[in-house]
Amino acid sequence: MNAFSYVTAQTAGSAVELVRERGRFLAGGMDLLGEIKDGLAEPAVLVNVKALPGTREIVVAKDKVVIGANVTLATLAEHAEAKKLLPALAQAADAVGSPQMRNVGTVGGNLAQHSRCWYYRQRDVRCVKKGGSRCFARGGENKYHSLFTKNMCLSPCVSNLAVALSALDAAVVVQRGAKTVTLAIAQLYERAWSEPKAHHSLAADELILRVEVPVAAGARSAYVRIAEKNEFDWALVSCVAAGRIEGGKLRGVRVALGSVAPIPWQVKEANAALEGREPTAENAAKAAERLLKDAEPREQIGYKIPIAQALVKRAVTALAG
Amino acid sequence: MKRNPGDAAAPSGSEVFLASGLSRRTFLKSLGTSAVTAAAMGAEQVSQGLAQANAERPVGPGAVPVTLTVNGEKKTFRLEPRVTLLEALRGEAGLTGAKEACDRATCGACTVLLDGTPVYACSMLAIEAQGAEITTIEGIAKNGELSALQKAMVDKDGLQCGYCSPGMVMVLTALLRKNPRPTEAEVRHAIAGNLCRCGSYPRIVAAARAASGQSAGTKLTFISSHDHAVA
Amino acid sequence: MPWPKETRWLGKETPRVDGPAKVTGRAKFTSDIVLPGVLHGAILRAKWPAAHVKSVNLEKARRAPGIKAAILVNEGEFEVRYAGQEIAALAGTSKQAVLDALALIEVSAEPAAFVVKELEAVKADAPQVFAGKANLTEGAAKETGEVAAAFAAAAAVAEATVSTPIQLHQPMEPHGHTVQIDGDELTAWSSTQGVFACRDSFAKSMNFPQSKVRVTCEHMGGGFGSKFNPGVEGLLCAKLAQAAGAPVKLMLTRAEEGLAVGNRPSSFQKLKLAADAEGKLTAFEIYSVGTPGFAAGANQGGGSGGASFPAPYIYKPAATRVKQGSVAVNAGQSCAFRAPGHPVASVGMEAVLDELAVKLGVDPVEIRIKNDPHEIRRKEYALGAEKFGWKEKYRKPGASPGPVKTGVGVAGAAWMSGGRGTQAEIQVNADGTVEVRVGTQDLGTGSRTVVQVVAAEMLGLDRDRITVRIGDSRFPPSGSSGGSQTTAAVSPAIFDACENVLAELKKVSGLDDPRGANWKAACAKLGSAPLQVRGKWREGLSTGGAGGVQFAEVGVDTDMGAVKVKKVLVVQDCGLVVNKLTCESQINGGVIMGLGYALYEQRVMDARTGFVLNPTLENYKLPGAADLPEIQIMLLDMPERGVIGVGEPCTVPTASAIANAVANALGVRVPDLPLTPDRVLAALGKVPKGATGTAARPDATAGAFAAVAAAPEAEWVESNGGCHSYT
Repeated sequence: MNAFSYVTAQTAGSAVELVRERGRFLAGGMDLLGEIKDGLAEPAVLVNVKALPGTREIVVAKDKVVIGANVTLATLAEHAEAKKLLPALAQAADAVGSPQMRNVGTVGGNLAQHSRCWYYRQRDVRCVKKGGSRCFARGGENKYHSLFTKNMCLSPCVSNLAVALSALDAAVVVQRGAKTVTLAIAQLYERAWSEPKAHHSLAADELILRVEVPVAAGARSAYVRIAEKNEFDWALVSCVAAGRIEGGKLRGVRVALGSVAPIPWQVKEANAALEGREPTAENAAKAAERLLKDAEPREQIGYKIPIAQALVKRAVTALAG
Repeated sequence: MKRNPGDAAAPSGSEVFLASGLSRRTFLKSLGTSAVTAAAMGAEQVSQGLAQANAERPVGPGAVPVTLTVNGEKKTFRLEPRVTLLEALRGEAGLTGAKEACDRATCGACTVLLDGTPVYACSMLAIEAQGAEITTIEGIAKNGELSALQKAMVDKDGLQCGYCSPGMVMVLTALLRKNPRPTEAEVRHAIAGNLCRCGSYPRIVAAARAASGQSAGTKLTFISSHDHAVA
Repeated sequence: MPWPKETRWLGKETPRVDGPAKVTGRAKFTSDIVLPGVLHGAILRAKWPAAHVKSVNLEKARRAPGIKAAILVNEGEFEVRYAGQEIAALAGTSKQAVLDALALIEVSAEPAAFVVKELEAVKADAPQVFAGKANLTEGAAKETGEVAAAFAAAAAVAEATVSTPIQLHQPMEPHGHTVQIDGDELTAWSSTQGVFACRDSFAKSMNFPQSKVRVTCEHMGGGFGSKFNPGVEGLLCAKLAQAAGAPVKLMLTRAEEGLAVGNRPSSFQKLKLAADAEGKLTAFEIYSVGTPGFAAGANQGGGSGGASFPAPYIYKPAATRVKQGSVAVNAGQSCAFRAPGHPVASVGMEAVLDELAVKLGVDPVEIRIKNDPHEIRRKEYALGAEKFGWKEKYRKPGASPGPVKTGVGVAGAAWMSGGRGTQAEIQVNADGTVEVRVGTQDLGTGSRTVVQVVAAEMLGLDRDRITVRIGDSRFPPSGSSGGSQTTAAVSPAIFDACENVLAELKKVSGLDDPRGANWKAACAKLGSAPLQVRGKWREGLSTGGAGGVQFAEVGVDTDMGAVKVKKVLVVQDCGLVVNKLTCESQINGGVIMGLGYALYEQRVMDARTGFVLNPTLENYKLPGAADLPEIQIMLLDMPERGVIGVGEPCTVPTASAIANAVANALGVRVPDLPLTPDRVLAALGKVPKGATGTAARPDATAGAFAAVAAAPEAEWVESNGGCHSYT
């Protein structure tokens, strides 16, 4: 690791000021410390944001659950009300890394984590994500990469929470300068869709403060994934379906795929294909077809398509309860 | 599914501003340049602001005093902020029980407890562990007496080379405190972040079950010469 | 066998003697050794898979804060042959100081063309790893019998094309040493499988007399074949210590473990097997090529040569044609790895054997019993099939209803094991305590406990009377721990020393049997001079030729390609079991390592950068606790055979049995290990072909390999040796 100074921010306002001196926000550190050790980041200062007031709580209100950015993944995974109201989110949190990682890794950190692409993580590879001119995964070893992207970089968004929050139609409250702004999950990642260097839409001095997840009566959700190993492994593909069941029909349904694009992958037409229909395998297959319509099964990535189809089926049918 | 940016509830003041009501930069500037402004803020605001500004003074990158409470004992070291908890424990505190095996939060050999919760010491800064009760493997046996889990690890042979053992013991110690009678699946889930290349997992799971008073039967069948001669 | 029939310790479940130290953190592994004034060492490695290095400038690094020594690996100009090759090394007062200074070393190099993929490297126009030498090293085909005629006359002929990956050792404790040079004495604390081999290697390369070099290894965190010698890192550590005039500790990082400390060679195998109408094997043919890294064909550390492996494995058809090749690529060199060659050999042979059984309509267990020349294994197949419920579980390939199909597979292992040559020394003190000293080392196999068990048994004592001291080249010599030979090499020496102790004590004490209840009285007669007695390995107490078979049951999710191993049954012979507890642990470990080989593990090389993309444990995937199948072990107790090591045979057939079970479940073979979801889905024909891409990997592999296999024979090229230079 390069040498850096360290400071604990007392308020979000000062955190974003302190970080401007070539700094990085430090929460759980699971991603950041690895980046520094591998020479991918050389911050002058680490701004510890764990002391920010009000960022460690999960508050359950009538119509939403507000989750502080510093809530650990373990806390979220084990939170009784979150498990009941937002099962997909709790399951997604429980599927992150290992127990030790979940004990320190935070909600904010999981959402803002950087690419795990093995070219990006190689100290000596200067790929397009690091300001170079090419994506080495294109035509290279890309079995863990994206089926969809608008830019040159093929690395997918691997945040478990992003997939769940996308399907749950959540919003993220971000400190931007002296103000806070609220972003939809799609907005939180939209830059990564078009800009190869972006991991998400946030600037270096923008900080996630909390996540707000709407909760409607009778809402259901399910998280399913497949990885090569049973635990402590990155999902090859993950899927979250969320919605309500009214009279046996799906309402307000959204399906998102993870690890297939630089953003959590949602397609309006796919959701529409399920709206007002029963959560059957046949209907799920139609939704999956629309979700995967523009997939580019290049080189080693094509296998993600049948997996995604199967996961959509399992997530949607799981909503039947 | 999109929302308009900024349509959520207005931010509360405490998140953005110093307790004094001014932004950090404005506050510091005003203190430095205008006694009048400072006076106008009132003594309470100034002292709050000063306390915060003081708390927000960056330390390092050179070595700074770092006080760690390890196995109940407070120790102060001079460490650069970049020093990890594992480096501090092994290199400075002389506690080599927690092992360095990957240095990237991928194997669990460095696991210690922070306020009773298992963490990877390789992937946490020592400076961040200040104020927490740190328990290392050296702090588990009391007066040379092995814990029930440690005894079971030995008796059930929950180890081979033993390099992963300290991490396994830490994770399982935390598990058993929280869940005194874990199922086999719960034990496996708890040690999912700890790798053992020798493949001792079946016996580690057996040890955790035995330590919690549950059956940890062997899957070994011993067939005597007589029997297999007949077969 | 002279081993006692009624035993108190031998063959029981004995917890390991160093268990308490290991579960409390008290055990000092090599990486835990801290000497006063010790410096940290680290290595600068090449960033290029191939390059001509013109100069390396250490001056800036040498002047960096805290740096006490800076040395070159090669003087003058030299060639880089893989990304990760050692270039220079530094020692300094802190790890960070050294890491910071590594960045200041200036290397002037001309990058050169390189090749890291086996099937590219065999092509005539591929960049040559060694200029002027073909990458492919092939022996002439070896033939026995009338191969063509035998195939022509066969009732059935099966073919299989399979590949196996490069497997990395990834011991939990990285490779490393602390070396101290004090005057004319060199002392090394090494994480090693062979303290004597390390001693000799340090003596030779540092030009010290062997009498002035001491290597110790109190506890070490696994080796699996990769820690037989000090390695380049050990010799650099010693040179840094010499240059700095201070002790130096040099432990490799996890990423370095993935680059430069050895691996199991890959293989691409094309096999053909024939049988007569009775199911007797009549003809076998194999062409294989694999890579052992940049020095293809060289004799690798630990004794395994190149990428070749035993063929035909286990079975002995009369007509055989065997041709094996080794191809150099710009990647780290292989070395011995738990049962070198055997898991590789097993994957191909067991696959083609199952294909043949299917063609003949014969049960896979039956065809093995019919053809296996090893009597014990035949018995094991029968015993195992019954315990496993094979007859009830086995269905025709693909007959299991979907979408999660179940399947079963079976495979066998042969291992020569054996082991000899150990000496031991026993000191009996007047207070009745006993010290056993032997220069072996405990890799986690339980050797230290084996020594104690044998001594306690033979002397009729409680175990706690016996202190075992091992892992020191000043103790009586014992070989390196490998080849499943340690228990068989060490136990007889302890037995012999104990007999000699008893004979001496009898003389000294006048007691007819100084064991057990008489022990204290006998020892009291010793007075102030402890009794010191030696013993050595002798014939008749241990043997070799372990047989083992394994059965696997899997579930394969055909929607997503996920393979879950539900159960593995091991039926293993290991002669006289010294300690059931550690024996069972080793077998569990062998199965789990085989499971990793089958499902998860593979070193991934990038063709365009030449880098290992997954040197660390994030993407080099080791099995975890959540991946465990139910493992059942049946140990055949055959004390009449004497002591036989078990560490290797138990890992040989696991991957083959799993691969066969997957083929049985699917009705189609997934040709390439590891059996990851992408490959399973491709084998099922479920992967769409990309608009911009090539075919999915298994097809590509099989196609490219078929072309290689059909190519004319390359000339025999003499290997140019290890070429892993460090001077």
